[in-house]
Amino acid sequence: MEGVLAVCGEVGFRETSVRAILEHSGGHRAQFYQHFESKEDCFAQAYAVWIERLCVSVLEAAARAPGWEAGVREAIVRLFQFVTARPAIARALFVEVQIAGEPALARHEAAVERLAAAIDSARADIDPTEAPPEATGVFVVGGIESSVCEALGAGDPGRLWNTLPELMHFAAGSYFGKEEAEGAFERASEMLERERARLTGAEEEGEAG
Amino acid sequence: MTELRLIGGTALAEPAEVEAVPTLRLPPGRHGIPADLVRAHQRLRLLEAAARAVAEQGYGRITAARVTELAGVSSRTFYQHFEDLWACLLAAYETEASRLCQEIEAACAALVEERGPIAEADRRGRARTGIATALGFLAAEPPPQVAALSGARRDLIERLGAMLRGVLTDPDGATPLPGLERRLVGAALALVSTRATSDDPQRLRDLGPELSELLLASL
Repeated sequence: MEGVLAVCGEVGFRETSVRAILEHSGGHRAQFYQHFESKEDCFAQAYAVWIERLCVSVLEAAARAPGWEAGVREAIVRLFQFVTARPAIARALFVEVQIAGEPALARHEAAVERLAAAIDSARADIDPTEAPPEATGVFVVGGIESSVCEALGAGDPGRLWNTLPELMHFAAGSYFGKEEAEGAFERASEMLERERARLTGAEEEGEAG
Repeated sequence: MTELRLIGGTALAEPAEVEAVPTLRLPPGRHGIPADLVRAHQRLRLLEAAARAVAEQGYGRITAARVTELAGVSSRTFYQHFEDLWACLLAAYETEASRLCQEIEAACAALVEERGPIAEADRRGRARTGIATALGFLAAEPPPQVAALSGARRDLIERLGAMLRGVLTDPDGATPLPGLERRLVGAALALVSTRATSDDPQRLRDLGPELSELLLASL
């Protein structure tokens, strides 16, 4: 099932044929159609598995960190590690999904909502009279995703790392305003400077740990 | 260019600017209409047809044949205008993106003209006007993040980001982070896409106050 995502991420969903998926993954046409109704169906099923895996991994990273800001930062780090380690799969998950049909798109939306709900835990620290708009969670997740799409579109996922401080500014600012945003930016810059080697070179360890 | 609106998706209530795009076919045969006018007209028809075909078939399934059928031109004419289907879709996207940016600029300029220097100084007010205008324009489905269109999408984010930067920059204060406004615009487009899946364009327009608050949080 990884095959369909890898191929779609490489050449694009439109250009991917069932034959290309089978060439990548092995197996016969008849077997393919025993398992899947169509290319769309195959993509949607593979999508479900991988997006679930990625969501759990990202949420785990966030849960292990102390506090909201560190949690968001670690979640983004985990996401970036995934994207730089598996750019083709990431392109399928974030870019090609937009044209891969309703079932996959629905799973994408569900994942966005789930991550948005997690990020929305920031509200626990905010006076209800100053609460940000209801859509803030989806807004922040969308901004992070658009950053990933931009790097993938430019064919250079490695440059994602430089966007970490600015994304933290954006996430913290959306909930807590300008001052917090600047603090979060500084702390992310420091972390990036201090631990760049660990962050960018530790994909495998990140996956396992 | 009705349904693409950067976008593709559910049919819209017929908005005013659509009428500017001629949909009638020119008379066939000898008609004395200058050749370059005929060509320009064909191109417009093709761009409009591309938008309708995307709405109908989605980016995953759209074919050049459907575009030419809707436009009422031959396949040969299609390839005289565009190298391939993606070139046509890209042109349709860029046309809509430009129109969106122009509408925002015009709305903000009209506000300044109407209210004078007060509106000039009221950065939040101008931003709200721009955002409301954009949402009115986009009151359908959001821009697709199709790989082949990602360059055009990046340009759009860049342009909208530059406008937002104009608003966010405090003349007396520090300039905002480079890249921050692109994140904000990317997030806004993503929000639009998740909130615009219903057939009700009004839902998107109603997003105005929330979106203004989110985009201006760091102002």
